[in-house]
Formats: sequence, C-alpha cells, structure tokens
Amino acid sequence: MTSLSEGKIDLVTLGDTAPAAARERASLRRLGRVRWGLAAGFVLLLIVASAVFAPWIAPHDPLAVNIRHRLGPPAWMDGGVPAHPLGTDQVGRDLLSRMIYGGRVSLMVGICSVLMSASIGVLLGLTAGYFGGSLDWSIMTLVNVMLTFPFVLLALAVIAVLGPSLVNMIFVLGVAGWPIYARVVRAEAMAIREREFVLAGRALGMSHLRIIFRQILPNLTSAIVVIATLQVAQVIIAESFLSFLGLGIQPPTPAWGNMLGEGRLYMLNSWWIATFPGLAIFVTTLMINLMGNALRDWLDPHMKL
Amino acid sequence: MRCVIAFGLAMLVVLGAGLVPPAAAQTKDDTLVYALQSDVQNWDPPNSVLRESIILGYNVFDHLAARDLKTGKVGPSLALSWKNLDDTTWEVKLRPNVKFHDGTPFGAKDVKATFERVLNPENKLTARGNHAKIKSVEVVDDLTVRFKTDGPYPLFVERLTAQVMQSEKVIREKGHEWMQENPIGTGPYKLVRWNKKQEHFLQRNDDYWGPKPAFKYVRIRIIPEQATQIAELVSGGVDIIKAVPPDQMDVINKSGQARTVTSPILRTAMIQLDQAGRSGPNPMTDKRVRQAVNYATDMDGIIKHVLNGLADRTATTVNPMAFGYDPSIKPYKQDLAQAKKLLAEAGYPNGLEVGFMRGQPIVEPGLIQTSDAIVADLAKAGIRTKARMIGETGPFTNLVRDSKPDPMFEWSWGYYSIFDADAIFYDVMTCGQPYSYYCNKAFDDLVFQGRSTLDTKKRAEIYAKAQRMIHDDAAYLFKWGLRGVWGVSNRVDYDAPRDEVDRMWIVTPRKK
Amino acid sequence: MDRDAAEEVEISPRPGPLTLPSPQRERVRGGGPGRARAVMRRYIARQLVQFLVVILGISILAFAILHVLGDPVLLLLPQNAGKEEFERYRHLLGLDRPLYVQYWKFLSNAVVGNFGKSWYADTPAFRLVLERMPPTIYLTFAGLVVALLISLPLGILAALKRHSWVDNLCTTVAVAGQATPLFWLGIMMIIVFSVRLKLLPASGYDSWENFLMPSFCLGATLAPITMRLVRSGVIEVMNMDFIKTARAKGVAESRVVIKHAFRNACIPVITVIGLQFGQLLGGAIITETVFAWPGVATLTVESIRNQDFPVVQCAVILLALVIVSVNLIVDLAVAFIDPRIRTGA
Repeated sequence: MTSLSEGKIDLVTLGDTAPAAARERASLRRLGRVRWGLAAGFVLLLIVASAVFAPWIAPHDPLAVNIRHRLGPPAWMDGGVPAHPLGTDQVGRDLLSRMIYGGRVSLMVGICSVLMSASIGVLLGLTAGYFGGSLDWSIMTLVNVMLTFPFVLLALAVIAVLGPSLVNMIFVLGVAGWPIYARVVRAEAMAIREREFVLAGRALGMSHLRIIFRQILPNLTSAIVVIATLQVAQVIIAESFLSFLGLGIQPPTPAWGNMLGEGRLYMLNSWWIATFPGLAIFVTTLMINLMGNALRDWLDPHMKL
Repeated sequence: MRCVIAFGLAMLVVLGAGLVPPAAAQTKDDTLVYALQSDVQNWDPPNSVLRESIILGYNVFDHLAARDLKTGKVGPSLALSWKNLDDTTWEVKLRPNVKFHDGTPFGAKDVKATFERVLNPENKLTARGNHAKIKSVEVVDDLTVRFKTDGPYPLFVERLTAQVMQSEKVIREKGHEWMQENPIGTGPYKLVRWNKKQEHFLQRNDDYWGPKPAFKYVRIRIIPEQATQIAELVSGGVDIIKAVPPDQMDVINKSGQARTVTSPILRTAMIQLDQAGRSGPNPMTDKRVRQAVNYATDMDGIIKHVLNGLADRTATTVNPMAFGYDPSIKPYKQDLAQAKKLLAEAGYPNGLEVGFMRGQPIVEPGLIQTSDAIVADLAKAGIRTKARMIGETGPFTNLVRDSKPDPMFEWSWGYYSIFDADAIFYDVMTCGQPYSYYCNKAFDDLVFQGRSTLDTKKRAEIYAKAQRMIHDDAAYLFKWGLRGVWGVSNRVDYDAPRDEVDRMWIVTPRKK
Repeated sequence: MDRDAAEEVEISPRPGPLTLPSPQRERVRGGGPGRARAVMRRYIARQLVQFLVVILGISILAFAILHVLGDPVLLLLPQNAGKEEFERYRHLLGLDRPLYVQYWKFLSNAVVGNFGKSWYADTPAFRLVLERMPPTIYLTFAGLVVALLISLPLGILAALKRHSWVDNLCTTVAVAGQATPLFWLGIMMIIVFSVRLKLLPASGYDSWENFLMPSFCLGATLAPITMRLVRSGVIEVMNMDFIKTARAKGVAESRVVIKHAFRNACIPVITVIGLQFGQLLGGAIITETVFAWPGVATLTVESIRNQDFPVVQCAVILLALVIVSVNLIVDLAVAFIDPRIRTGA
C-alpha cells in the first residue's frame, strides 16, 4: 500500500513539478501584488478623504498670513509648537493646512483632467477602431503627432497662450493626455469588431452606436480604468511641475507644486516648507502607481499595454 | 554587431551636428565671479533704467566724477576739477592721457558727444531726465569743457557721477544699434564676451589710468534663482552675490565658505499708487483711499519680522541718507479702524477690489514675503488686492513706462546713486515722467524750486515742505530704505557699497 | 505563451509601443541582394513620408495653439506697440484672410526659419532658439546614456534572474523611481552634492562636472520605465525557440545569453530608446529649469514669463522637429538591422 500511495504521491509530485508549481508561484505573486495594491489603495483613500474633508480637518486657514510666526519649525523640533504640527511657511501660514488644501487642488486637477482625457480618447479611439478607413487614418495621425510632443512641452505651449489658472491647467492636461487612450482603445476595438457576437449583432440590424456602447466598450473598461489610474499620477506630477515654475496654480492658493517652488529658497535652513509638499507628491504618486499596477494584475493580467 | 554599429552611428550623427560645449572656465585665481539675477537688455547705460546696467557700466566705463566710498564725497575721475563760472555755467577740466579701449584718446569732444546724444529727445534715452537741466556742452580745448545749464543747477557735481563717458568716434561711426552690444569705455575692465542671459566675460584693461584691478578676469554669471545663487556661493562657484534675503543670512554665515556684509543703501522701496490715473480710472485717485492704504499696513512689523530689522522705515520716498531728508516727519502708524473709516468716507463701506502688479525680488530682497504681508494687512481693512505677477524686470518696467500697470505696483528706486532728494522726486513723483504715477502741481513747483537754487539751506527747507506735502497726501504707500546685503566668498575682500554699485576693480583676494 | 511570460509584460504608464517587434535571426530569403535593396528603399520612402506628415501635423498644431487659442497679434507684438502697429501687423499676418491662407503664410515663413523677432531681446527668434539647442541636446543624450547604464544591466539581470530577490528589488526601485518628481530629485541632489559635500557645481555649463548631476537626474527618472521594457524584451527573447535550441545543443549559458539573446534583444531595446527620446526631452525640460542649464527649455520658460511668443512658438516647433527626426533615424537604424521590419511584418 505504502509503495502505491508513495507511487501515487511520487506521480503527483513528479507530474506537478514544472507547470503546476510555477502556476502556484505565479498566483502567490499576483496575490502579493494585489495586497500591496490594497494597502496603497487604503492610504490613497486617506489622502482623498483628507482632501475632501479639508475644511473640517485642516487646523488653520491655509491663507492666513501671520508674519510674527513665520518660518516656524515642525512641532517636534526646537522652537516648534503643537499648534503647527508641520511648521509654518515664509509668511506664517500653517504648513499642514496648506498641504491638505494643496492635496485638494492636485487631486482635483488629476481626476478632472483624466476624466477629460479618457472621454476624448475613448471616443476618438472607438471611432477610429470601429469605422476604420480615412477616419482611422486621420485620428491615428493626430495621435502620433501628439505622442511625439512630450507631455510637458505641449502643456507649456498651451499655458503660454492661455495663461496660468486652475481651469486652464485642467484643460491643458486633459487635452494633452487623450492620445494614449485612443491608441489602446482603437487596437482593442479593431480586434473586437471582428468577433462573432459583433457580427451577429450587425446581422440582427443593431445600429453602430449600440454595438459600440453595448458590445465593444464593456470589454475595454478594465484597460481604461488601469490607464486612467496610472495617468492620474502622471498628471499630478505634471501639474506640480507647472506650479513649481510659476505657470500653474498661482500663489497664494496652495498647491504642492507652488509650495515646493516657494520653499526652494528656504531649503538650507527652513527645509520643511519644501520638503513636506515634495514628500506628499512622492507618496501620492507612489500609492497611485502601486494601486494601478495591482488593479491591472487583478482585472486582467494578460493585458498588453 | 550590426546593432551596435547602427546605434553608434545614429548617436554620432546627432552629436556631431552640434557645437562642442564651451571650454572650461578660466582658472579660479585670476577670475572673480559675480552673480546677477537678471541680465541687462543692452550695454548702453544711458539707455537703461536697470540697476544692473548701472553696475556693469561702472566697470567698463568711467564717469567725470566719482564718489569716494569712505568719505561719501564726490571726487575727480575723468574730470580733474570743476568750478562754476557763474550761476549757469560750469567749467570742467579733464584728465589727460586717458584712452578708450579701442585706443582712441579721450577728450572734450567725447564729453560733448555723450551729453548731446543723451539730451537729444529724439534718441529717447532713459537718462535724459537726469541731465535735463544741461542746456549745452561746449568744447573749449581738448581738455576743457564748458556746460551751460538751464538756471542754477545744484546737482551738477553729483550728477557728474551718473553719466558714463562714451566715445565720440563710436557714436559717430558705429551708431546706436552697435552701441547696444559693444561698450567702448575708458574703464578698468573691457567686455570680451556677452552670452545673452547667461554670462558676461570681462578682461582687465591693462592701460587703465587708475588703480590696477587685482583680478585679471571677471565672470558675471546670470543666475535667476536666489536659491541657486546661495548654493553657488557656499559651494565656491561664485564670489559675490547681492540682494541676499535677510532670512538666508545665517545659511551663508554658517557655511564657513562665505560671509555676509551689510550696508544701508540709497534704494528706497514703495508701492506706487496711481494717483495720476495713468492706468485708467481707479480708486487710488482718491486721497482718502491712499491714506487708508497707508493706515492699514503695519510696516514696522514687517521690517521686524520679515526683514529681521534690516531696513529703515521712511515716512516718504526720501531715503535717510539723501540730502533733504526730514527726520521730523513721522511715518504712518497702523490703524485699521482709521483705515476703514476713511474707506467708508470715500464711498467704500464694504471695502474695495484693486489690481496689484507684483514682480520678482531682483533688487529688493524678501519682496514676495513683504508684499504677501502687505496684502494680508490690506485685506484686514477691506482692501482686496488682485495680484498680477510679472516674472521679469524688463517687462515690468516697460509696463510701468507705458502706462499699463495695475493701480498699485511695487517699485523701488536707487536714486542713480545720487544722494539727494531731487534724484527721486523728479523721476518718480513729478507729473509726466515715465516712471511717475503721482501728479501734483504744487509739488512739482517745489521740486523745480529745489533744483534751481544753489543755496543748500533753502533747498533743505523746500524739500522738507515737499515731504510733508506728499506724506499728508499719501502719495504712495511708503515702505522703507533698504539695507543691502551682499554674500561674499571668504577668498576675497569686499565691503558693502553704500551706493549699491559693485566695483569689481576694488575686490582683492584675501590674504591667507 | 505560458502564463509567466504573459504576466511579465507590464504597462508603461507613459505612451510607448503596443507590442515590441519580435526579433528573429533568420533573414528573409529569396530574391537576392537586389530585391533586398528595393525593399529597403521602399521602407525608407515610407518612413520619410510618415516623417513629413508628422512634421506637417506638428506645424498645424503649433499654428492652432497660437492662432486659434489666442489672438496672435496681441501675442506676437510687444505690449507697448501702438494701435497702428497692431493694425499693420494684423494685415501683415493676413488675419483678415481665411485660416488656411494664414497657415500657409506661417508655414512658408517657418520653412525658411522666419519665426519673427523676439521682441524682448530684439533678435530673430530662430537664432535665439538655435543658439540654445546644443546644451539641451547634449543633456538629453547624457541622460540617455545614464538611463541605459542603469537600466540595461539591471533590466537584463532582472530578466535572467526572474522572480528572485534581485528582480523584486529592481521592480521596487523602479516603482519608487517612477513616483519621484524629477524636479524634487534635482533640488535634493544640489543640496547634497553641491552645498553639503561641495563635490559638484550647483549650476552652470562649463565643464563635464556640470553634466553629472543633471544627466543623472534625467537618466534616473527614465531608467525605471526603460528597465521594465528591457526586462520584458529580454524575457520575450529568452523564451524564443532558438534559445531553447541553443541550450539543447549544449551551449554554455553565458554564451547563450551574450551571443544569442543579447544581440536579438538589442532591437526592441533600440526601438524603445528611440520612442523614449521624446520623454527624455520632456525630462530634459524639467531638469534644465532646476539646474539653470542654458538650454532651450529655460529659454522657453523665460519667454513664457515674458510673454515673448515668437520664441515660444519657435522653440516648441524646433524641439518637436528634433524628436521626430530622432524617431526617424531610430526607425531606419532598426530596419537596417532587422529586415523583417522593412516588409512590415
């Protein structure tokens, strides 16, 4: 009996060496990445919550100038006070409050412009992929042209003409970001439109619009969600760079980018003014990237993007 | 293999298409490195109102007279002596054996050509207002010049320090355009190279008539970011930087590589209020609004907390170091209640909105923070300002010159390094001047009286009266006289200049 | 393809290739050298046409930004120009004519290098931008070299030692690196290396020392994405049949890696590099502003602050031109190596 069971075990073990064990390792890895993603998502939720509930959470008015308490260090350092946990900036405004409100701006720009990019990009991509022909050619040429321009350059050019402001930023970043959606959506649309269920739909007399929105689009949602998530991070960095240059959100409205720009002069003595916003940008972007990667793994690891 | 070849070829093609990066800088020991935050627009000093132009001009050109930094008195430079033959005629004797950088000898004809060019209204040179009282310049002989003035001109001698001497040959043969980029002066250094917006390279004039500069080369680097300037200073990349913000002084002093030197300077800061209505109808044309603006702000607090005490509060636009300053006039003290009352009387019981044009801290350190504090104070009184930031000084001053700023805008004035109240009154506060947004006939009369008599006692009285007038009229939002802070590397010896002019030729290496 | 490989293909958040061209050692046989040359000629011709189309597209985009979004007269003339100047310029630019006529005027001027005068510096915009182009190009290439130095060895190592701690470390560092804002990294480096350690110059453009920090910043920011793409490319190659054949033949592992895998992995890597050049230039723009680098980017930012639009327009177009040209060169180089691409495979 033992030998048989041993043999059986041996067979099982032998048989499962390469593929099954590898598969198991792969699933564990996926699970690990998803766990990271969940943790990142949780932190992100905290950040978003703090931005949404800013007026209730922020200890002070982010615009309240108080020169008597300027350049105050964080609470744990010499000279710091608990009233200003992260210290005060160069005109005495509370840094923590400005960070929280700054998060609002960054997240708002990120989400709004990505929504804009996704809408434009998905629409154009579907059109190009489904209808093909000269429409496809012209849209894809536009995509290629826009992808040639670095994101930053395009944003700079348009801001130069429109002038810096919150609305212009959202517009610029939204317009600069759509090509990636178009390209991906088009490829998928082209692949799906040859599938049987679509052909069946055409045979049944379904209108183009119905086919696009009922049959093709649902298959793309995971791809779109993943790209959108990762693009929010990219947009946040782009917005902070523009604000850092003085071409984005204008002071005194707090934005992580312009706080970094203003605090740069103080890096050698009052380092907290620029360091915390920089950290905020880094952490937020990192969390979004981790969550985006995890989303992609979870939704469809076969995705080739 | 093909892969590598192809890649390598591609790289070579693109790389070869460019120029080679510039050669390494001159050895450090013979080169003095000076940093400027913003570049000049031209090398023609009479054609610029920028402080940078004045500084660069001093190093490449000479003036007829020069200020002794230790005594503060005006002494000879290209002119050896001067005297007034009568109330409206001055005779100036020139220094012999002086040559321009191109070898041409300097003489009376150059003085005449320089002044005539500046005074000609068609040339539209910004320095014209400085010398408007000079009617004509005559050559008596090669080393003697006679000036005729329009009435008595008390500032004649002072103003001799404010006009560089340019070559008659260059003016006649090369013309205005050429002169914008090619300065031919008699000064201690000559311009070797100008990479616009990047750097200037000066070389010692070994035929200079005056004291020989210690450093053979001067490299003037344009470094727009103050943070970078300070980083360069403490890491040894730059020897002298100016306009250091007071809250960064400890960084420099603790670095062990450099130190700060301070001095009160003539530069006076203010916020111009458009009383004259040049930018269009606006609330600042009303005296009560202007007074409210002055009552709303706590200038003493700002000086103490933002500038760490490094400024001298002024009751008007006249600097304490300038002739004619009246210390008996007390500056406005913060009184928010009074401010609100005045606004209500003027018809703004709920406050008002007004545009505020702001710039970069190029010559006025801490400008952004002090203006932020002012904006906050004004808001407490109900005056809500809408800021318009202009990134560079050139466009900023152009907007002011062309009547296109906001009704409030930041302004400071270096007096062209002339220690006299007239040097600010005329250009910045009389009717019709390009950089003046105040127009008051009674005040204008006082200014013209002040510059038309040689009696110093009388002038002092006139100027006292003028100051009281503009103080009570709250002509502008008055701020303070600046204290200049320079960052100086420990490898050189340099004292802070009271007239805000950095003289490269007096900088010497520190003895070990 | 087994699931492991499927997993490893990751998304690039930045725009990149959809798929990497598959390398193969076999040449397209048949037809002889004449046919091969004809195929190559056709490919080059196709690429050139595409190049011209994209350039035209860029010019239209640049034109649209200036002339459609804003009032070009207001933008192109100095602010203190009088009313008559405005009218004269409006007529000169042909703004009373239809849009395509305006575009034609703009294009015909641009082709000869006439982008107007920078009213702030009173010199032709084209000359200003051209003068500042070399430092930007040098910086971009230096950044590319650094990115390659970091990403090639790490990417290959990670691909070969898949799922080991080396791989995980590389991936972690890559993710962290992608999240770091470039301008933040630059500022920190200046503080550490210039101010505290006094090892490197804080700014300027004099000697090779000035290149170190900016190119490292630039390369370090692009390295994560490049590393992941290299890793994917190498993994794909390592799974190819000819590798298995070589192994089965008993070829030593190191030889397999170096001679067979690496050479074939070159192609996707070069393609990736070429496509990343645009991103590199974008990164160079950011790097320049932090290090006061005298390049086109700092000129552009200054010109935006000065509202000096002729310079901004010229800079944007010339930069785009550089990117498109580099893409073209890379495409041609890759086609030179891998004949399958010429036939559109």
